[in-house]
Amino acid sequence: MQVHETATDGLKRELKIVVPATELASRLDTYLNDLKGRVQIRGFRPGKVPMAHLKKMYGKSAMAEIVNTVIGESTSKAVEERNEKSAVQPKVDLADAEAEKVLDGAADLAFTLSYEVIPSFEVQPVDGVSIERPVVDVTDEEIDERIAQIAEGSRSYEPKEEGAEAAEGDRVTISYLGKVDGEPFEGGADEKAYLFIGQKRFIPGFEEQLVGMKVGDKKVIEVTFPTEYPAPHLAGKAATFDIELFEVAAPGAVKLDDEWAKTLGLDSLDAVKAAIKGQVESQYGAQTRQKVKRQLLDQLDKQYSFDLPPTLVGQEFEIIWRQVTAELERSGKTFEDEGSTEEKAREEYTKIAERRVRLGLVLSKIGEENKIQVTEPELQRALIERARQFPGQEREVLEYYRKDPQALASLQAPVFEEKVVDHLLGQVKVEDKTVTKDELFKEDEDETAAA
Amino acid sequence: MSTLKHYDIIRSPVITEKATIQAENNKVVFNVAKTATKPEIKAAVEQLFSVKVKSVNTLIRKGKVKRFRGVLGTQSDVKKAIVTLEEGHSIDVTTGL
Repeated sequence: MQVHETATDGLKRELKIVVPATELASRLDTYLNDLKGRVQIRGFRPGKVPMAHLKKMYGKSAMAEIVNTVIGESTSKAVEERNEKSAVQPKVDLADAEAEKVLDGAADLAFTLSYEVIPSFEVQPVDGVSIERPVVDVTDEEIDERIAQIAEGSRSYEPKEEGAEAAEGDRVTISYLGKVDGEPFEGGADEKAYLFIGQKRFIPGFEEQLVGMKVGDKKVIEVTFPTEYPAPHLAGKAATFDIELFEVAAPGAVKLDDEWAKTLGLDSLDAVKAAIKGQVESQYGAQTRQKVKRQLLDQLDKQYSFDLPPTLVGQEFEIIWRQVTAELERSGKTFEDEGSTEEKAREEYTKIAERRVRLGLVLSKIGEENKIQVTEPELQRALIERARQFPGQEREVLEYYRKDPQALASLQAPVFEEKVVDHLLGQVKVEDKTVTKDELFKEDEDETAAA
Repeated sequence: MSTLKHYDIIRSPVITEKATIQAENNKVVFNVAKTATKPEIKAAVEQLFSVKVKSVNTLIRKGKVKRFRGVLGTQSDVKKAIVTLEEGHSIDVTTGL
């Protein structure tokens, strides 16, 4: 095998590899010899097929197979011998006319190999990096607020006595039939539906006009659909509703005590509070982590600057671009609506793609140097986590990942990333800073740039 | 006309262990039409493969009686011709016509 470098341009490499025909021929012989003992051809006992006949029958396909393996082998060998790592699958270029001759064993196998190397860079120390960790203290008021919300949902209603009028806050049971221009419209009718007056879930003006009605009352009310109503054929239209009221129920008081806690399946009110606190904290914790990670990645992005393999960036960009355009198509917008042009957006997303590729390379390098690996149990956990996202189809999801190692690898990537980030966070200075809830959830300006 | 008839006489080459062994002695084996005679086979081979034939030996392998699901059946008879070529001539049977 002879290897010549034909072109070097930045990270791009082009090699010309020549494998002599004699080498191929000897490989073919060993291959056929091996085949001879196994094949069964009519008219011959196993293992008694003459070589010439075998060659005639299987020579071409065997040669094709051999050429394939030789290309694969010599490719990885050539790249390895040069002490380089290819960023993407190296591209093999073999002329068709050549290939025909090679299969006949008449010509040397010569092909060009083009690939991009992974840029080599030194991992830089992260001691100097300091990161601010926004932390939110969970206050008692907040927990109380949440409990109140839950309590509202479990509020019970007691029917009012005969002749009582519906008032704000009451729950009424009504049947209604909505009409636009005298014609009933779709979705505008219901029988014995609950309506909570004052919760403003209906069209503005609807609930207000129910106040004062008694059980058994019938009434026709007029309302106008708001112009931004989701159904376009109704938006802005005036409508009438024929209403019959069946029941008026007043809200019962909700007592927040251990008794109430038991209806939620917990032992005491304190237990409820603790559970809610845990929930809120984990919610904030996730957000905090995201922010910290972001800062860390920002710092890393600033620390490193090296040439990136264009193919990788291109691939990443394609992924982002497809998402973006699909998003725009769904919402029926163009780039002009978003206040930019396509070229500008392209430029912007290319930058994001570059950032992602760079960070990906840096993280994987750091992980490699620190011998960070995703262990089997961690992978299993991630797998189960993923399966949980598809309730009812857990088994299919697990099956899918078990069968497709590539999918499993894609699952492995985020876990690996998290571990590397954890490792880095152990090295950098992290300062806690108490912030308010709103500050924590305030979106970063360039949120889309998140790696 | 005569060439067309030749195609009917020579049915197919026989490619077996035995036939390949005989190939070393410049002999080629064909399946031929049941009705074909030695002179006909000689003429057909000479013309179709443009070789000189030294001699032709023929044999008829009688079809066996086979029982399939209890029903008796007979395999058809096969006539084979072992054609000996003159020195310096050869036929590559595997490539076909």
